[in-house]
Amino acid sequence: MIEILSNLLHNFYYLIAIILFVIGFHTMLSHSNLIKKIMGMNIMDTAIFLFFVSIGYVEGGRAPIIELGQDHVYVNPIPSALILTGIVVAVSVTAFALSLIVKIYQHYGTVDAEEIMRIRSREV
Amino acid sequence: MTALAAHVPALVVVNLLMCSYIMPVLARWKKHLCIPVALGSVSFSFILSIFLTFQVSRQGAFSYALGGWAAPWGIEFVVDHFSVFMLLTLTGVGLLILVYATEDLIHELKQDVVGWYYTLYLLLMGSMVGLALTNDLFNLFVFVEICAIASCAIISIKENRECIEASLKYLILSAVGSGGMLLGIAMIYMVTGNLNFTYVTEALPQAFELYPRNIMVAMSMFTAGIGVKAALFPLHVWLPDAHSSAPSPSSAILSGLVIKIYAAVFIKIFLRMFPWDVYETVPLMTIVLIMSSVGIVVGSMFAIVQEDIKKMLAYSSVAQIGYVFLGIGLLSQNGTLGGILHIFNHALMKSMLFMSAGAIIYSTGVRRISDLKGIGTKMPLVMSVFSIGAFSMVGIPMTNGFISKWYLAIGALDVDKPLYVAVILLSSLLNGVYYLPIVVNAFFGEGKESVTVHHKLPWKMTLPLIILASAIIITGIFPKLMLGLADKAVMFLLN
Amino acid sequence: MEDLILTMIVRLILPFIQIYGYYIIIHGHLSPGGGFPGGAIIGASMILFALAFNLKEGSNKISHDTSTLLESGGAFGFAALGFLGVFMGSNYLSNRAAGFPLGIPGNLISSGMIFLISIFIGVKVASTFITLFFNLVEGKTHD
Repeated sequence: MIEILSNLLHNFYYLIAIILFVIGFHTMLSHSNLIKKIMGMNIMDTAIFLFFVSIGYVEGGRAPIIELGQDHVYVNPIPSALILTGIVVAVSVTAFALSLIVKIYQHYGTVDAEEIMRIRSREV
Repeated sequence: MTALAAHVPALVVVNLLMCSYIMPVLARWKKHLCIPVALGSVSFSFILSIFLTFQVSRQGAFSYALGGWAAPWGIEFVVDHFSVFMLLTLTGVGLLILVYATEDLIHELKQDVVGWYYTLYLLLMGSMVGLALTNDLFNLFVFVEICAIASCAIISIKENRECIEASLKYLILSAVGSGGMLLGIAMIYMVTGNLNFTYVTEALPQAFELYPRNIMVAMSMFTAGIGVKAALFPLHVWLPDAHSSAPSPSSAILSGLVIKIYAAVFIKIFLRMFPWDVYETVPLMTIVLIMSSVGIVVGSMFAIVQEDIKKMLAYSSVAQIGYVFLGIGLLSQNGTLGGILHIFNHALMKSMLFMSAGAIIYSTGVRRISDLKGIGTKMPLVMSVFSIGAFSMVGIPMTNGFISKWYLAIGALDVDKPLYVAVILLSSLLNGVYYLPIVVNAFFGEGKESVTVHHKLPWKMTLPLIILASAIIITGIFPKLMLGLADKAVMFLLN
Repeated sequence: MEDLILTMIVRLILPFIQIYGYYIIIHGHLSPGGGFPGGAIIGASMILFALAFNLKEGSNKISHDTSTLLESGGAFGFAALGFLGVFMGSNYLSNRAAGFPLGIPGNLISSGMIFLISIFIGVKVASTFITLFFNLVEGKTHD
């Protein structure tokens, strides 16, 4: 028990990332408002990004900008560089999803998934 | 020429991407150039894939370092037997669908978005070709995302309500899938410190002893992530809507190629990257087997009750992707061979079936299966092509569907799991239940009101159908053609 | 709706925002940042302009045609730049081997191709942001 707790405490940034992930996932599944679903998706993505970035953290390291002639400990730049790409991807997915929601609003007059289901079932 | 020959692996991807970037400009100012450029680009990639196939069979697998950065640092493209197999499938079928699309889209889309369709189509092709070639986990993720966005956009480009809703559903679910994949990649990177498949493979056995939990989480994340994207059974909910409401060429490419490329990614990750002895302690492949065999049966059952022809084909895709995963999950040489072969065979069959369904809708406007009675006399060519596809789906000998099912069955017997042979037989029966009545009714049934043919089919739409139908027959009678390539791919994966 | 305070403030800070964006783009190889953040800042500055003044005026600054050209040009330029490496006998997207001078690390004109690539990405991202915004606002049918 103590061991698990100390492990958790030691790796608290992973724990926080996973908690955020679950919050995002839950928001995405449980809310019927489409905009909130997209928000949940973004929270989930952010959690993964935080997790990925925290992998590359080195105790006491600083941003990996090399200054000539000085010897520092740097954090691992690869996860950060990868996550920049990941953020770009997340932005484009969000933009695309939002534009689809705008279209859905034009067609149905609502952004609520359950309402849309009701409208569709009434038509059928 | 010889100098360029070394750069073909990069060229085959970049050519598609570059043409997709200039397409909006062409669509705005030089509209007549859109179709020639798109066709030229895809056929160029097809020619390059054939070239790569010869190169691989001559000198074996080779890699290409982007930017001149060697493997652990840079992104690497690896051309091996499996990736050229995928390349040939992708570019060959993709080219035929594009030829079909040039004619079909004029009627299905608004005039001013047709140019954008080619942008998305080429982007989708480019990302899929990239997925087949890449040897880097993060590069894989980026291509997966491009592929996801492009395939959602290719559905929602037809701006009616069903398409946009289906597209949004697909987008949200595939975003969850990509999220899962990224988390899996993070876990793998955490314990191995590498993103390159080759290096990860080397580091994994040791990492598995030290951090088994990380690897298991990564495996489950990859399975869930790819499962959503490839529509593995319980995660398939987005597929029927998305594939049935999209424009017919989009349905053809989505059902024929896009879900297959994720199966290929699954093969790449789980058969090539993870060492096979992991599966002795982790029951992943058993889970995949159960999911896929339930999917095969349930997908077929759902397909039986459908009334819309495209929806029926979409549910049939859920069942058929199960065969591919069944082959992977068997973890035997013949089973994997059957699975890989089914990627190619099903790409031919399903894209052809969707295109012939599209052709029926194009000329008669009929979508309901019950209205298709007696259509065989009105459109003999399309319906005979459809029948060939249907026979191949059922797995009647002399068609290529039989070959892959045969190898799947042998593979199941090899590892002493005869239950899965029963699953294959049962699903063949179910396939017969929903495909054959259409064929029989189309030729021999008497419709109450006769279906009228409004448009005559242009040759650009019939030609791809005829080529695909003859390819099904030819690879069914002479299976050596693709079997040789698939066999080498399996041999490569086994090593 | 034109508000005096809003328009004046925007008029004042807009040049600084834009210069900051350009700075981030061209210092992409030296400091954190680069094409994407810089492009996003420039795109955001245009969005701010359009919001503070009216949308008509905003969309007049960059028409749909121009942003289509910029978008395609940015992405195409990036891909085409990679071919220089192939023509110089090295691999696709290679930097020094393609004959780009690397310069002295730390100088503005250094790092060869990365400098150019940042600019292309910046152009692409800025124009994409602007296009996205106007398409969402106007509800036009372009993807």
